[in-house]
Parts: sequence; C-alpha cells; structure tokens
Amino acid sequence: MNDIKPPKWPLNMLRFFVKEKYLEEIEGDMEEVFRENLEEFSPGKARRMYAWEMLRLLRPVLIKNFEVIENLNHSAMFRNYFKVSLRGLMKNPMNSFINVFGLAAAIGICVFAYAFARWTYSTDQFHQHRNSVFLVTFSADRDGAAQQYGQTPRPLGEMLRNDFTNIEKVCRVEDRSVIIKYDDKVFHERVRYTDPEFLEMFTFPLKWGTPTSLEDVNSIILSENMSVKYFGDENPLGKNILVKFDQNNSKAFKITGVAQEFPKARTIQFDFLINFENLRTSEPGYDFHDWDKFVNATLVQLKDPSDISALEKGMDKYRKLQNQAVHEDWAISSFAFEPLATLHKRSEYIRDDISRSSADNYSSIVYLTFVGGFLLVLACFNYINIAIVSAAKRLKEIGVRKSIGATRKVVIVQFLSENMVITSFALIMGVLLAMTIFIPGFERLFNFNMDFRLNHPSLWVYLTAILVFTSIASGMYPSVYISKFQVVGILKGSVKFGKKNPLTKIFLGFQLVLACVFIITAVMFTQNSIYMLNRSWGYDPEEILYTPVADQAAYEQLHAAMAQIPDVLSVSGSQDHVGKNHGTTVLHFPNREYEVEHFSVDANYFNTMGLELKTGRIFEDHEGSDQRAVVVNELLVENMGWQNPLGQQFRIDSVEYEVVGVLKDFHSYSFFTPLKPTIFTVSAKEDFRFLSMRVRNGSENEMFKTLQAKWSELFPEVPFEGGHQEDVWGFYYEEIKIHGLVWRIFALIAITVAGLGLYGLITLNVAGRAKEFSIRKVLGAGLRNIAANITNQYAVLLAIALILGAPAGHLLSKVIIETAYTYHMSIDFTAATTAVVILTLVLITTASTQVIKVFNASPAEGLKTE
Amino acid sequence: MRIIRNYIYCNYDEYCIMKKTKLGEFEELVLLTVAALQEEAYGVEIKRELEKRLKEKLSVGSIQSALKRMEEKGFLTSEFGEATQKRGGKRKRIYTATPYAHRVLAEMKEIRAQLWNSIPKLAHELKTI
Repeated sequence: MNDIKPPKWPLNMLRFFVKEKYLEEIEGDMEEVFRENLEEFSPGKARRMYAWEMLRLLRPVLIKNFEVIENLNHSAMFRNYFKVSLRGLMKNPMNSFINVFGLAAAIGICVFAYAFARWTYSTDQFHQHRNSVFLVTFSADRDGAAQQYGQTPRPLGEMLRNDFTNIEKVCRVEDRSVIIKYDDKVFHERVRYTDPEFLEMFTFPLKWGTPTSLEDVNSIILSENMSVKYFGDENPLGKNILVKFDQNNSKAFKITGVAQEFPKARTIQFDFLINFENLRTSEPGYDFHDWDKFVNATLVQLKDPSDISALEKGMDKYRKLQNQAVHEDWAISSFAFEPLATLHKRSEYIRDDISRSSADNYSSIVYLTFVGGFLLVLACFNYINIAIVSAAKRLKEIGVRKSIGATRKVVIVQFLSENMVITSFALIMGVLLAMTIFIPGFERLFNFNMDFRLNHPSLWVYLTAILVFTSIASGMYPSVYISKFQVVGILKGSVKFGKKNPLTKIFLGFQLVLACVFIITAVMFTQNSIYMLNRSWGYDPEEILYTPVADQAAYEQLHAAMAQIPDVLSVSGSQDHVGKNHGTTVLHFPNREYEVEHFSVDANYFNTMGLELKTGRIFEDHEGSDQRAVVVNELLVENMGWQNPLGQQFRIDSVEYEVVGVLKDFHSYSFFTPLKPTIFTVSAKEDFRFLSMRVRNGSENEMFKTLQAKWSELFPEVPFEGGHQEDVWGFYYEEIKIHGLVWRIFALIAITVAGLGLYGLITLNVAGRAKEFSIRKVLGAGLRNIAANITNQYAVLLAIALILGAPAGHLLSKVIIETAYTYHMSIDFTAATTAVVILTLVLITTASTQVIKVFNASPAEGLKTE
Repeated sequence: MRIIRNYIYCNYDEYCIMKKTKLGEFEELVLLTVAALQEEAYGVEIKRELEKRLKEKLSVGSIQSALKRMEEKGFLTSEFGEATQKRGGKRKRIYTATPYAHRVLAEMKEIRAQLWNSIPKLAHELKTI
C-alpha cells in the first residue's frame, strides 16, 4: 500500500506555483487526501483525483506573485509607456520614419512571402478526394536511369476497374486539339475525352447543369472561361456547339454543364469535357485494347487510400501484359500510383502527366523566405543601432524613472513595450504595403491571383509571430543595455555611451555585410536576366514565320501561295517544329539504348530556320533522298563520346541509320529547359504538319499579315494558328524581364534599408558630438578635418564589412544562380564591385550631408546645446 | 444546500474599516468548523468535517484558500503541529479562531436570530391585511 505514490508532475507544478510558506502544509494535506482516496478507490482513480485537486489549488491566494503578471496589471504604467513612445516617435520624426519604414518594408515582404507560400501550399488541395484519387504512372529504364511517366497503356483503366474490388472509381483522360464552332465563333481548342467519373473524382462543381450528364455521349461540359468566351454571361445550357475533330469528321454536342470558376491554385483543369466513348467515332482507328498505345492519364479512386500498397503489388501482371505487347524499347519496369494531393509537387519528375509542376513555386518560396528574413534582420539591426544611440538622449528619463523606484526589469519592460508599439505600427504599415503594393504588383507582373485575404487564421498567427520576434529581436539588446546604467552615474552626467559601445559597431558592421551580400545577389540576378534576354537560341528566330497545317494538301496549297512572294526567301515543310513540337525516339546501339528528341523535316528546313551546320552535310533535296540519313546535334555527339561522328550508325526500330551531319547546339525550348540530344530525319511529304518560312529582314509583320490573309482565303473554316518564331517560347521573355525587375526592386529595398540605417546612425552620432565639433571649429578645424572626423570610423567599418561581405555575397549568389538556372551567364566580379561602389556612395552621400550641416552650423549654437 | 447570504454586517462600522474584513458565506462555515474542531483543526480534518456536515465533496483548494484568506483578515492564527506517516512526513498546520473571529461569529448569529424572529411577525401581519 505504501509503495503506491502520487503522480509526480502535479507535485512539481504545485512546487512551482504555490507560495513557499504554504508548501509543506498543502503537500501534507494532499498526501493525506491521496492516501484516504486510495482506501476507497482504485490507484488510477486516486491519482487522477490527486492531479485534479492539484489543478484546483491554483488560486490567487495560494500561488506566488509572479512579477510579470503583477506588471501586466499595471495598465496605467503601460498607458504611460505608450504615451512616451508616441511622443518619442513624434520628437524624432526622421528616426521614427527610418525605424518604422525599414521594418514595414521588411514585414511587407514577409507578408508577401506568406501569401505566396499559402497560395502554393493550397495548390490542388480543394479536391475533396485528393487523398484517395491516384494517377497511374509507370517507370521505364532510360539509358540507365528510371524515368516515371504519367501516361498509361490504353486497356489498363478498364482492367483495373474490373480486377480490383477496392477500386471505387476509374477515369481515363485523353486530350485532343479540335476546332469548336458556335455561330460565327470558331477557335482551336483542347477537348478532354473522359469518363463521367471525372467530375466525381475531381472537385469541380458546376455552375449550371448536372455532372452526371457526361454519361450521355452527346453532352459537352464547358469551363467557366469557355462559357464566357462563346456565350458571354448567358446560360448556354441546351445549346448545341459543333466540334470538328478533323477535316471530315465533326459532331454537334449539347451543352449540359458549365463548371464554376476553377480555384486559382490548381494544376489540373479543363476547357471542354466530352464522354470518352466519343473516341470511337472521332478516331475510328482508336483501339481501346491496344497495349502498345497510351492514354494521356488514368486515375483511380480507392475506397480506402491505405490499400494503395496492396494495389501496387497487384500491378505486376499488367507489367507482363504490357511488356509482351510493346516494342522492347518501351518495356516498363513497374507501375506506381501518385496521390492527387501531392501530384503537383512530384509532377516535375513525371513525364507527360496531366498536371502542371509547381516545383518553381516551391523554390520561389525559398527565395522569398530568404529575402524576407534578410530584410527583417537588416531592419532589426537598424533599429538596435538607432535605439542604442538615441537612448543617449533619454538617459535622464531613465535616471528619473530609476530613482523614483523603477527596477531594471521595469525599464526593460518599458523599452520592450515601446518597441512593441513601434513594431505594431510597422506591422500595420507592412501589411498595408503588402496588400497595396507588393501583392497586387506581383500578381499583375505574373498575371495570376493568389487570393490573399486577411481572414486566414494562420496569417494572424504568422503576424503575431513576426511581431513578437521582431520586437524581441530588435528590442532586447537595447533595453538590457540601457537599463544597466546606475542612476547616480546617469544623473551626474558621467555616463557616456553610444559612440563608445563596440557592439554598436559590430552591429553596424554586420548590417553592412548583410546589405552587401544582398546587393550582390540582386545585381547578379539582374545581370543574369539581361544575359538571358540576349542569349543566342543557336539560330536566328527573328525572320521566321511558321504555321501548323492540317495535312499535305493544305501544306502544298499554302506553299504555292507563299513561295511566289518575293519577300519570302525560303519555305519548308516538316512534321515537327523547333519550339512547338518534337517526337521522342530511342536509338539502338549494339551495347546501348539512348533516348533523343526527334525532328522529321524536309531538306530545306535547316536553311529556313538558320540552324548552323558544324561538320558534314545537310539533307539533299530530291525525291527519296537520304531516307537513311540523320543529322544530329553537338550534344548527342558529346554524350556518345564520338571522336568522329560522321558515319556513325544506329538503329531506330529496325531500320539502320547513319549520321551525315552535325548541327551546332540550339535551344528548341526556353533556357529554363536543358538542351537534349537531338536528331533530324527526312520527313515524308504526307506527314507535313508545319510550314515554316524565312522572310526578308524587315518584312516580318507584313508577311505575317499576308500569311494570315492567304490562310483565311484558303481555309476559311479553320482558325489561323501561326506565329512569329520569336514568340514560340510564349511568355519566356516577359518572365525573364519580370525576374530582373523583381530583383531590382529587392535590391532597391535592401539599399534603402541599409542606407536609412547608416543615415540614422551618422545623424545621431553627429548630433551627440555637437559640442565637440563646435570646439574643433572654434579652434580652427576646416572642412577636411571635420569630414575626416565624421567619416573615419565608418570608413574603417565599411572597409571591413566589404572585405567580409563581398566574397560571401559572391559565393552565395553564385550557388543560388547555379541552382536556379540551367543556363546562366559566366559569373564575374562586376556584381561584387557594384555592391562595393553602391555602399561606398551611400556612405559618402550620407556622411557628406552631415558634414555640410556641421560645417554650416554656428559653433556658438553648438556649444549652447546640452 | 443553500446558506442564507449575509449582506447586513457591513452596516456595522467596526467590520467595515477595511473591505477585506468581510466574511464570505463559505468562509464562515470553515471558520465555525475550525472553532468546533479545536486543536484538531487542520486542513484535511476541516475538509472531512465539513464534507460530513454539508454532505458534499469539497476540494483541498477551496478549504486552503478560505483558510489563507481568513488568516490574512485576522480571523485565524496558525502554527505547525506534528508530522505523521500518513502525510508523507509533512507537518500539519493547526488553525485557531481569534477572539475577534469569535466576536464576529457571535454577532452574525445575533443578527440572524433577530431576522428569524422577525419572520413570523411579518407573515402574521401579511395575513391580516
């Protein structure tokens, strides 16, 4: 009986909270009650009762006086602090502005980073079944490395549905380009063939109509955007629109649903949905049971998501089925399932999946956190410095407070609470800055909407965290430092500080190092974006126009119409087109399989596109020539380690090919995409799907209009899809320009914050030394002497900061740029030099304003100051 | 179990010198128990006694806080008593009611008695109206 002990934690709690003098008695009472309860109840219950009794002992009469708690009750005192801090803010508007504005800018960026992170993390999370819906993927061996693909063999979906009881729903997705016509509105569009389950598995609620209507093969469901594009605000339910699958195959669909506007943070969407069965009519050759062919996506929904591993094990039989059917090049190693909830993160590594990757956004969060944190620390250092120096002016106040009876703790609390007031101002300003400038600005630049609202509870947690962190980080040291002085010393005037405090210098130095690092990063990114703008594509896109064509007949008609125009220098046809479309092919070597990008083109294509030949020759231009010849790019030669590329042979499927020429490397997609090993083969005329032409320099716009006019003359029913080759990378250039702009803004903010800090510090220092300078002037000090006096200590500090900061910044930004960009400029020291120059200029400018002020001031005035 | 509230004694100047000298209803019960238990009056015993009389469970906290408050107000004094095995070797604190407390208790009893006496009279008058 005696060995049953009361639980330990309540006793510890009791010992911590209850007044010392009552402890023995109460502990004894509790023990006695516990023993009594033991006789009556089970040990467990007795323990619980003991703990409960302990909690009920926490009464004001019994517990210790915790000083903080007591202080918090002094609301009058806090009102006084508030008043004093407001007066302090008003008295030194310049310093207050520096403090508040610097902090506000930093907090603004932090809020922006928060908004962006929240937006990114919410991607695709609106799908109700995000954890039970999975994309079926497979992995295949590609030259020694496993590559995951988002497509699936066509029959797999149906088989999964029948073979597994724990699969609740299955939907297949196939995307096709079609022409959609309603009245006089005719556009190229993408339709998505899918099973009716699509709208149950994904959470895309409908604005009008019913999701189950997709079961009807004659139904079509539109997205909100498409509904507006074709029908404006009108409800289009029941209307018929014509879908042209190809030139001779079209079908009228009845609109039975319009989706609500999609949430902003999404990576999967649709324009038009039609029943999967429509493939039977639109593509008569479409074989649903061909293991050799792929469907864009197959998704499954499980009753219980934890069954997924069991399901993965059961997939092996399909792997065997698949590998019997396909060519050995495409043999797969395994099937895997990707949950919808995390698909957007993994999408980067999955080829050809229906989701977009949000990996860029995740790396942007890292950058933004870096920038936000950096600025916040910078602003805190500003505050610390200014607080320490300006406290010199408040020494008397502190002395008086202390002699009236304020303890050191009280002074610390006073300073911290004042700081809290200032930080709160900054916080409000920061949120306003973020809401009015940063967030809308970024949204406009990148043309998206991150749906930032003030009513997210996590935002308030985040803001409170910033408030507490910033007030304590920036206020702790100054308050501890200031409160430490003895009353007698202060009131006698024998305490001198601020100028002599070595820590102030260390802080300022650190601040300058940070600013230096930051400026270097920003300058380097800006430079890199300029470089990206001017980087060569490997060919000259400026004078090239292109247009997709329907078939050989269309190509020949258009070719005939365009070739006779004198401004058109050359015309060529191709099955693929650089920047728009390419095939993927596996090359067979006796000991190796190698995957490459594949362009099928005519002999004229290289000249038209301006692709430069390095060695060998291009295709010969006569019927049936070079059927077994390939032209490759430099990268392929390099990767294969060929000393002598010409004459090298390999198989594609079962046909033997030989390398006849090597092209210099060129970028088919943007500089964000790595170069790929590439081959060109001769395309049969009946496979032509693109027409490209080189026009005389200066006539591009005119020729583009001519091309458009000829097109609508020849094919009035088909919308024109052509363009300038320069535009094939879409918004790439705008995006690069935006990156440059963003970094310039960050650099500007960093320079401003650092400059403000320096300015504040020098101003205060000079003001504190007014007497000294007056005496110097009276004794005959000239401009040079005064300038040297003011600047010297800062110059030394700046020099040290630059010696530390420049290499650090250089290395750091080098690392960042190398990870962020696949192709980047060669990194040199101009950024570091720029940062050094900028910081030196800032120092000179700030110092010189003060030097001039001191020089112009009358010494008599200076001597009179206290 | 309801106890009649005592608002009245604050009319007597001597109890109203300081606000703290007010005696709450629960405090009064504890005080009476202390007085009744004599040298046995320590925390758990008071609790036990009161629980028996009120026929309800009381917490150590409520008894202790009442005792401490009354000690501060000068109704009680206390000193350490003996330690027992049962208490894990901790000493008891024995409480004693001060003469002042006795006087206050007596006066409150008086006031109550007077009030009780006036009840039948009132009821009678009401009836006659």
